[in-house]
Amino acid sequence: MTVDRTKLATERVIGVAALVVAVLAPTLFSAFWLNSILTQALILGIGAASLIFLSAYGGMISLAQTGLMGIAGYALANMVTQRVPGGETKGLLLGWDPTVGLVAAILLTVGIGLVFGAVASRSYGIYFLMLTLTYTVIAFLFVGSVTLIGGFSPVAGVDTYTPGFIGDIVTDRERLYYITLITAVFVYLLVRYLVRTPFGVSLQGIRDEPVRMASLGYNVALHRTIAFGIGAFIAALAGVLSAWWFGQLSPTTMGLDATIQMLVIAVIGGLRRIEGAWLGAIAFLMINNEITNRIPSSGLPVIGGTFNTVIGFIFLAIVIVSPDGLMGLWDRMWDALRRRGGPPHAEPEGGEPAAVASS
Amino acid sequence: MTEAAPAVEHAEPTLRLRGVGRRFGGLLAVDEVDLDVVHGERRAILGPNGAGKTTLFNVICGDLSASTGTVEIFGEDVTKKPARYRAKMGLARTYQQSRLFDGLTVEDSIYLAIVGVEGGRLRPVLVPGKEREIRERAREAAGRVAISHKLGEMVGSLSHGEHRQVAIAMALAAEPKALMLDEPASGLSRGERQLLTELLLGLDRDITLILIEHDMDIALRVAESVTMMHDGRVIVEGTPDEIRANETVHDLYLGRGYGHE
Repeated sequence: MTVDRTKLATERVIGVAALVVAVLAPTLFSAFWLNSILTQALILGIGAASLIFLSAYGGMISLAQTGLMGIAGYALANMVTQRVPGGETKGLLLGWDPTVGLVAAILLTVGIGLVFGAVASRSYGIYFLMLTLTYTVIAFLFVGSVTLIGGFSPVAGVDTYTPGFIGDIVTDRERLYYITLITAVFVYLLVRYLVRTPFGVSLQGIRDEPVRMASLGYNVALHRTIAFGIGAFIAALAGVLSAWWFGQLSPTTMGLDATIQMLVIAVIGGLRRIEGAWLGAIAFLMINNEITNRIPSSGLPVIGGTFNTVIGFIFLAIVIVSPDGLMGLWDRMWDALRRRGGPPHAEPEGGEPAAVASS
Repeated sequence: MTEAAPAVEHAEPTLRLRGVGRRFGGLLAVDEVDLDVVHGERRAILGPNGAGKTTLFNVICGDLSASTGTVEIFGEDVTKKPARYRAKMGLARTYQQSRLFDGLTVEDSIYLAIVGVEGGRLRPVLVPGKEREIRERAREAAGRVAISHKLGEMVGSLSHGEHRQVAIAMALAAEPKALMLDEPASGLSRGERQLLTELLLGLDRDITLILIEHDMDIALRVAESVTMMHDGRVIVEGTPDEIRANETVHDLYLGRGYGHE
């Protein structure tokens, strides 16, 4: 008990410290770091949070999240960009009011997420994984082949059509950083709150024992569908921010590489705790940055290969050493502390032998 | 057939099965079962392993659909209704392998059992008054099965006996009209069995109890009527005394084989 309390207090301190650093980041880090590492880590973290929310609390590992991010980005890009004389931008160029476009893009993504979720709601494990991968592939091929909304060349200029309350994010990258930070904190608090509500506790029950939940009176498929819709909402936020950050949309943002990258981030962070999303994202980008700086473009010495080789090894090591990622490593450290230093009456009847059943 | 039960005077049917069968591929796990359980009755379902008792439970609660026949609960035909519908009508059950939520605390688990029948299952906000009331009921149910000291523990870290306690607390917390327990005593120590028997004997007479149990001491002490199953079929029904005296039952449990009745 005391160990648990110390752990909670430690996590609070770390959390607050991280937030303080995040708020002060523009004064602490270079413009490159702020934009390329921190802002991107927050965005990828929000995307990974949508994946981890579903896996940690719903037991659903979804590969649809990058697809949903892309859908939100493409929807936004098509809705808000305008026809410029002499320009050659792609897409529908609807030229809607950016605020309307923002809301509509998020709603559309949630709607598609609910449909996706309803179809997958009766599938579990590997079947769920494959179905959600299919969603991303469908989205990828759709935007790639329907030239009306984009095609394989990018839809550009999304970042210049932002709502008034978002402001100019093209020249003011600090502004974009803070918008992203606020969204990330919002998503984190949203998930932490949701999982304590009747909906969230039920979702965790469904994660552990769907059949039991049905016989307790729950509509398991509906519950999972709604959870998937919430995951789509979080992914939509990440998709919009990502579109603003990149300034343009191309199908590769939801390609297989991006999908695997999102999964790698979530696994490095840890699929069981929401905090892992941002931890994984920052670790991933820092490793990426270090390696790109240090490794010659000709590849690693002796074995050859570049960033993907290194991240592959790290991924492998994490899956073997700590399947629950960096957050899992942290939790295990505290478990070990509890076993060693915890109060003597912590778990007296741990291995009570079950009496032999008469039959 | 069921005249033996003393509770027959206010014989509103709690459960009524007609010709219920359940097929798994080529295997007929439950075959043409007729079963009537009246309000407030204590009914034990006995039979050797593989007799189809648990499958029958699954068909009654809706985890499995019936391949043939009809299932009526509280006077309503629910053959085509999902498990969640039957739970909300007031049918609660426990499972042979406890099927609990390893990643939730004891309190949250019981909380889920109450929310499941109370409504508000999809509510994405905390309503403080409601929360307090449901949590209070959850703690009360935990007290009834003497598991109050573990409310904050993860279910996955508990012992087998404690799992049974949690399962029963969950079933009771839903304030069911009918309670189905699938081998509640299996794996329990002698002391725990004693507690379980007392709990079952002290159960509100308004709750109908249907019990699968291999422990004859418990089953025949708690039950007022007994249904004996074998090879998916009901072979004998009667009072505990009649069952004790029945030769077929002896044959089955002594393993001399069945078929020379």
